Amino acid sequence: MSKPANVVLLIDDEPKIRRFLRAGFELNGFAVLEAENATEALKIATFSSPDLIILDLSLPDLHGADVLERIRAWSNVPIIILSVVAGEDEKVRLLQAGADDYVVKPFGMAELLARSEAALRRYFKSATENPVVAAGPLSVDLVTRSVSLHSSPVRLTRKEYRLLHVLAMHVGLVVTHDQLLKEIWSGNQRDNIQYLRILVRKLRQKIEADPNQPRLLVTESGVGYRLQNRLDAEPLTARVS
Amino acid sequence: MFTMTSARPTKLASRPSGAAALDEISPWRVLWQKAVPPLLSISSIGLVTAALLALNQTLATSLVPIAYLVPVMFAATRWGVWPAMAASITGMVAADFFFFAPLYSFRVDDPQEAVDLLLFLIVSLVSSNLASRLRKETETLRQRESEMHALYDFSRSLASCFAVADLIAAIRQHFERAFGHAATFFVTTTNGHFEPPEPQFAPPSVKASAAAMNSGEGPLSRTIIDERRRELWLLRAISSETSIHGVIAVNIGLGSELTIERRSRRIEAILDETALTLQRLDIGKAMESARLRLQAQMLRDAFHGTLSHELCTPLAAIQGSASVLETIPAIRADVRIHALVEAISEETAHLDGYISNLLSATRVTAGGLNPRLEWADPRDIVNGAIKRRARRLSAHRIETHFADDLPLLHVDSGLVEEACGQILENAAKYSPSGSTITADVRYEPHRVIVVVSDQGVGITADERQQLGHRSFRSARHQSSIPGTGLGFWIASTFIQANGGTIAVHSRGPGQGTTVSISLPASETSTSELTAFANE
Repeated sequence: MSKPANVVLLIDDEPKIRRFLRAGFELNGFAVLEAENATEALKIATFSSPDLIILDLSLPDLHGADVLERIRAWSNVPIIILSVVAGEDEKVRLLQAGADDYVVKPFGMAELLARSEAALRRYFKSATENPVVAAGPLSVDLVTRSVSLHSSPVRLTRKEYRLLHVLAMHVGLVVTHDQLLKEIWSGNQRDNIQYLRILVRKLRQKIEADPNQPRLLVTESGVGYRLQNRLDAEPLTARVS
Repeated sequence: MFTMTSARPTKLASRPSGAAALDEISPWRVLWQKAVPPLLSISSIGLVTAALLALNQTLATSLVPIAYLVPVMFAATRWGVWPAMAASITGMVAADFFFFAPLYSFRVDDPQEAVDLLLFLIVSLVSSNLASRLRKETETLRQRESEMHALYDFSRSLASCFAVADLIAAIRQHFERAFGHAATFFVTTTNGHFEPPEPQFAPPSVKASAAAMNSGEGPLSRTIIDERRRELWLLRAISSETSIHGVIAVNIGLGSELTIERRSRRIEAILDETALTLQRLDIGKAMESARLRLQAQMLRDAFHGTLSHELCTPLAAIQGSASVLETIPAIRADVRIHALVEAISEETAHLDGYISNLLSATRVTAGGLNPRLEWADPRDIVNGAIKRRARRLSAHRIETHFADDLPLLHVDSGLVEEACGQILENAAKYSPSGSTITADVRYEPHRVIVVVSDQGVGITADERQQLGHRSFRSARHQSSIPGTGLGFWIASTFIQANGGTIAVHSRGPGQGTTVSISLPASETSTSELTAFANE
């Protein structure tokens, strides 16, 4: 492998979990660092500056949410949360506290890798400066604001585009209801999730092959929405520079 | 609804002296009490005189003033000021008659002796007055002490009260001791059963007032004067913040203003204690129920914690490891090995399903179901349920039909999604592989109906009756289809928690089953919302 590998820091107190995460990430071209508690994790995060952090919520010395907060105080590194039983409220809280995404145990490696890739892509986007976001047959040019599906242009209303724009900026990652409401209605209708639901329905009618079974704009129950960056659940390799 | 009880007359004998004033007093007894002490004090003077006469003349004369002071002081401390004064005067007269010249005459010749006698009289009167006042004060103190003691006993018996019934018994006992039969206690009962029967001595006006106070009408404190029977009744309700537990009525007679005041003060003291105890009982009750709730919560949390850690962590490790293996090209290339890896994933997912069912069941049983209602699209819920159970539904054809312009639902989408998933899973479990399961989402006024139909084994009328019960499994399938009997129960509990209903239909065994889930929907039409959304 000629290019330098992305470095991922795995923070989990369970050796069993770390073992397969290490194997999964190494097989997909990552260099792996491990920490089994918060103290060690914070030390490694500071001195080795990893490109990605996978953080388990239950740690022996500090709650994962606190670790997230401490790292976010000085670093913008992508952080994906692992949790066993996270309620919707907790997921939303963690996302608002700066987590890029979350994965609930038990999970498949493919799912975690897809989330990791999306988070890394977003983290490094400013460097690549490609304004066109592709999600399956859909492409969104964030600069010219043009949307096309299977290479033919799609006409969206102002609000529909705004919604797609925010999701495209975080392609592959979950965006919370709160964040969407804030970005789209800029404070006016912030607590009215009904409008968001209807807007999503309208947007799906324009971009989905079957609006009744959406595959691009998917719902994260009780948390928010996600624009899928790939349609199949095929295993993938991280190809982020 | 109240009962009336009073002290039994037999208890009167054991009543402390402090409460004597309330009894009816016979005239003979009054005469006895008034006449005997002066007579006794006068005879004690006689006794001293006799003793002095036995001595020789000069010694006796020198001892006279001191010796006569003894019975005076005795009478003063023992019987009060009047007997003491009688003793003083008798003493002076006796001294003059027996010991001062001329002897055996009431005349006094020597002015010196006249002054002596006068001095004796003054000293004995003053000291008897002082001594009797001391006695009175001691008596008051003693009485107050006994009152305090009784009150202390009362509050000690209150401290051991753990229910309102104990408290009422303690109050009743205390009143019996302190006021005798003059106190009446009216107790509210829930069933209207009176025991012991109503005593007749309380005047009708008191009974009527007590009844009114019991039912919460009017003030909680009243004074009733019964002119005809010359009685003054004091009524006080015993109430906590939540309810009135009873009314105490005490006949305090029509004594002097001071007596009335003193007795009302005692009653107030008792009521204050009672109110505090009631408050404590209320707080105690609240604390007890809070403690039980907390225990249930802790048990549930511990169960969840243990389950999630001890079961889910190894499961996550197995699932994760299998998924890593699945990404390896060499394994994907070999069909046999790939099938093994897939089997691991499938079985783990199966196990995970069981565990989450158990977790859901404990959540329901421990009362931890707090639906978090928000607006959700029924399509998202049904699609989510299908997606989450994709593996377990993979052997069946799943068809979904959504009505156009479905309104939004105001539900906890997580719970409803889980309920729909359980129903879909059941449909798959009890219908042959390759058959079709349909999920039809319709709209009725104010409701959205999710209808899940299968082409499976159906249900009998008897099975339908028992379907809602936890852990019910039909005898027809117990050996052939694995399960816990929790699925439908969890689904119906979750749907009910969201204000919905669930109904099951089947044309009979082998004819398939249809489950209809009805949920409350938004009243606002989607076109209205669209207009706002695009504003």
